[in-house]
Amino acid sequence: MTMLPERAPGARKMGLVIDLDTCVGCHACAVNCKEWNTGGEAGILPDYDKYGANPDGVWFNRIHSYETDSPQRSRTVNFPRSCLHCENPLCVTVCPTGASFKRAEDGIVLINTDICIGCKLCSWACPYGAREFDEDNGVMRKCTLCIDRIYNEALPEAEREPACVATCPAKARHFGDLADPASPVAKLVEERGGVDLLAELGYRPTNKYLPPRQAQIPSGPEETPAQPAPGVGGALLRLLDKALSR
Amino acid sequence: MRPAASILLLTTLTGFAYGLLAWLGLYAAAGAAGADRTLILIGVGLVIVLATAGLATSALHLGRRERAWRAFSQWRSSWLSREGVAALFTYPVTLAFVACVYRAPHAPLTRLLGAAATLAGLGTVYCTAMIYGSLKPIRQWHNRHTAPDYLIFALFSGGTLFALLHTVVIGTGAWPAALVALAAAVALLAKLAYWRHIDQQQPLATLASAIGMAHDTVVRPLDAPHFTENFVLREMGFQIARRHGMKLRRIALGLGFLLPLLLSLLGAAGGVPLVSSALAVACAALGLLTERWLFFAQATHVSALYYGRSV
Repeated sequence: MTMLPERAPGARKMGLVIDLDTCVGCHACAVNCKEWNTGGEAGILPDYDKYGANPDGVWFNRIHSYETDSPQRSRTVNFPRSCLHCENPLCVTVCPTGASFKRAEDGIVLINTDICIGCKLCSWACPYGAREFDEDNGVMRKCTLCIDRIYNEALPEAEREPACVATCPAKARHFGDLADPASPVAKLVEERGGVDLLAELGYRPTNKYLPPRQAQIPSGPEETPAQPAPGVGGALLRLLDKALSR
Repeated sequence: MRPAASILLLTTLTGFAYGLLAWLGLYAAAGAAGADRTLILIGVGLVIVLATAGLATSALHLGRRERAWRAFSQWRSSWLSREGVAALFTYPVTLAFVACVYRAPHAPLTRLLGAAATLAGLGTVYCTAMIYGSLKPIRQWHNRHTAPDYLIFALFSGGTLFALLHTVVIGTGAWPAALVALAAAVALLAKLAYWRHIDQQQPLATLASAIGMAHDTVVRPLDAPHFTENFVLREMGFQIARRHGMKLRRIALGLGFLLPLLLSLLGAAGGVPLVSSALAVACAALGLLTERWLFFAQATHVSALYYGRSV
């Protein structure tokens, strides 16, 4: 059903918080995502022309790097881009078959690939470019927030988080319930001023991005004024210093 | 946006078909079915062939054609689903209409069904237009021009067919040709207004807001996520032949609207009605296919911002 579900009071909003200050742009999250999702319950994530001149394939996560100049600071910003599990997901409501849906209990946006007809309209409706078409199976694919990990009781509890979060070497990716103001992710968003991407389009993404911190580069070490040596030599140097300072 | 041949054919063919159905329905609603039954019978046959061909072509766009029937289920939220339902609903209405025209051309019910067929056909065109009109990330589609334009182009292109049929079946086509000339003029102005609108639009967003940076931040792409094109760039970042845009606009304008306008005026004035109305159909078809190609190729999608494209 592509009508958006009524969110029950107290329902969770599972999502990611991505720290653009500490992301090093290593692509490990994208690689581990591909690795998990090509072998997990979601099935193969196809690749085309793997060893040819134009390799291509379906990835749920893409890592861009940008140069940014602001009045405060210039810096490189690495930017992982994936589904934001929006609260107002146009990709869901445009779906003609009900294959695209948003879960009422945790807000995760998923595709039922067993009934998807591959019309691609959902990819047109997403401003974040988060959906990619699986040419081999004729259906659309997207980030599942690793739904087959986060609720997987066969995994040790510590591993019940999305593959991208588990692998991030810079701890720039955080996973949790953004509806609970006491959760570590909600606190991070609060402390660091987490933002919505393309807020002006009104999709109300669940995932939040933490902007790079303001520059805190200390100015050079304070110079300790040189103390001229006592005695005749010192007096001579003081005289010289006075003469030169004129 | 990538102009897929299947979608260009779908929207152009169904535009002709449902536009013609609207003309036939209005013709009958005006009480003319009694005099010109043959015209409506042949016309409706053509409507069904063209609409079915268009809908069949659209199935080629699907990754899983065998599941196409599922698209009728989500009409409560999806304009694509509504288009399917409306197209399906138009068949029985059209068949009932044509049956009434055949059995009782003078009956009030025939007039009523003519009006119903008109509404069903134009309703389907409206749903098609709203598939595009409802997509917020595409400023060239999500505006007040898209829905009226699709209706105007359907009535214009269907009108060229109606004028041709009228000339072939009845022998004269002066008044339909005059109406087509009017429709062509309205369509031409509508297209000019649309192009003016999209050329003056501001971008929907900036790269800075796309990556969550403050608005006074200047952002330049440094490294792309991948070196070759992916689905998002092929589908949403379409750029091929964009530089021919202005030339193609002139072709679409001349071929699609101006020539049919002049040919219809010629037909209305009584000069070679058969040749002029047939040529008007051919020109409108080629011109509208070009116009539809441009509607896609010149539409930009916000997601291409991430790759440093201007939208």
